[in-house]
Amino acid sequence: MKWVYRILSLIAAFFFLAPLVWMLIVSIKQEGMKIVTLVDWFTPPYSFAVYDEILSTTKLMNWTFNSFFVAVCVTILTVAVAAMASFAISKIPFRYRTAMFFFVLAGLLIPGEAVIIPLYQVAKDMNILNSYQGLILPALASPVAVIVLKSFFDGVPNELVESVQIDGAGVWRIFWSIMLPLTRPALASMAILTFIGSWNNFLWPFLSVTDDNLFTLPMGIPTLMNQYSEDYVKPMVINTLSSLPILLLFIVFERQIVKGISLTGIKG
Amino acid sequence: MRISKWRADLLALLFLLPFVLIYVLYTIWPMIKGVEMTFYKWTLIKKMSYVGWDNYNKMFHDREVWEAIWHSTLFVILTTPTMVVLAIVLALIANRKSRLRKLYRTVFFIPSVLSVAVASFLGLFIFQPYMGFVNTFLHLIRILPENSEIFWLTEVGLSWIAVSAITLWWTVGFNFILYLSAMQEIPDEIVEAARLDGANNWNVFWNVTLPHLSPITKTITMLQIIASFKVFLQIYIITGGGPLDKTRPIIQLIYQTGFRENDLGYAATMSYVVFVILLVLSAIQYWLNNRKEARA
Repeated sequence: MKWVYRILSLIAAFFFLAPLVWMLIVSIKQEGMKIVTLVDWFTPPYSFAVYDEILSTTKLMNWTFNSFFVAVCVTILTVAVAAMASFAISKIPFRYRTAMFFFVLAGLLIPGEAVIIPLYQVAKDMNILNSYQGLILPALASPVAVIVLKSFFDGVPNELVESVQIDGAGVWRIFWSIMLPLTRPALASMAILTFIGSWNNFLWPFLSVTDDNLFTLPMGIPTLMNQYSEDYVKPMVINTLSSLPILLLFIVFERQIVKGISLTGIKG
Repeated sequence: MRISKWRADLLALLFLLPFVLIYVLYTIWPMIKGVEMTFYKWTLIKKMSYVGWDNYNKMFHDREVWEAIWHSTLFVILTTPTMVVLAIVLALIANRKSRLRKLYRTVFFIPSVLSVAVASFLGLFIFQPYMGFVNTFLHLIRILPENSEIFWLTEVGLSWIAVSAITLWWTVGFNFILYLSAMQEIPDEIVEAARLDGANNWNVFWNVTLPHLSPITKTITMLQIIASFKVFLQIYIITGGGPLDKTRPIIQLIYQTGFRENDLGYAATMSYVVFVILLVLSAIQYWLNNRKEARA
């Protein structure tokens, strides 16, 4: 019985890895080879020539930079903005506190896809189509991030905050030197998930940017792929090159990513 | 926090200002603006003319719209139950005591970090006849005879299978992690006690593990329904919505209406239908969650 489980597990693992392995193998084949069976893909000769070609003739590097730049800005600013807002809602006893909480909560019900057409018009009116601002700004107000971080700030006892206050710390000090360090795992999880979300964001960049110098990877890839109808090697090189940064990041941060998902229960 | 009333208001304002400003500008304001757009003939260049309820009337009689909504719904039906079952099975595998435990966790999750564009193009090439991975693999293990090919992407039924399969492969990782951490919360004592009472693996799974997973299953199911209903790029890349628009989801139709046919007003009207559908789904989700908490 144990062996049955073991073999079934290995088969499952095979199906999850196989497409990726195939992608890597195809990407280092030479173009125009005759392929009849699966084994043909896995027989040498191999070559990295197409990698050089893609890197030197396309804007893939440029787009990788854009994706990184946008994702880093979005991550830092989203977490900063959400942390400040959730700190206010969690710990500052202002008027309309409950109303503000529900105002943010309502945002959870508004799917980005449903406002994307009017958002396009709004961005056009503000003249931020085809710009980094246009890619970054609309992504920054994340109600999910506020609600999740609020629940973590709520976990910091009020007695602790008040005892620090008695020692003479101001509100900013409390936020910066008490709240943020105490909720670091939650902030880190939120940051990683926001980064992955931004890195993979497709629909809004796709609609708001037409200048190919400003493309991010997910929107640049389809424009490249359309040029190759019969060839397998170039598309797989493009796939591989554009996945390498996020795969490396995953390998480095795997534990935090996994913890982040179970901690916050969100998909970035 | 001890603080005077007016200072609390002032500080809260400062801390909330950046969020509220962006939130209102890029979420709330477009919501309101969108209502206006639905009453106009509105092109990519400018607002044209007031048309009253014309966009709404047109939509209720537009077969393309209802077909597209049905396609999105069909995708929900195809992917949600399979996603939940697959996620539980993978979590069971990765939760077993084994030397490969960490490896399984990594392997099942790794496709989830790929971008939707990469996953979709990988899917497009994997399901090609003659040289694609799936058909050559089926030839290799002799399930498919040497000289026959399956044309995954040109037949409606097979296209749905291909698109669903690639979506499962690509996104099951998140749900898998949620299930895995829920399973690891089950105290060992309970499992051991059940075993002392003579329970076998199947009894433990059915009477201990599965009941413990039921709250997270509700959440995952609802989130999955909403996520699947919003499907766009996988289908757009892998089948292009075809053959003959038979797999085109509603988000693709909204995009084409707005940006190909230059009719933002009509596209905005359709997005409000999507919004209402998703709102109802989210409301159900909150209701389910709150009911759970009220009972606990």
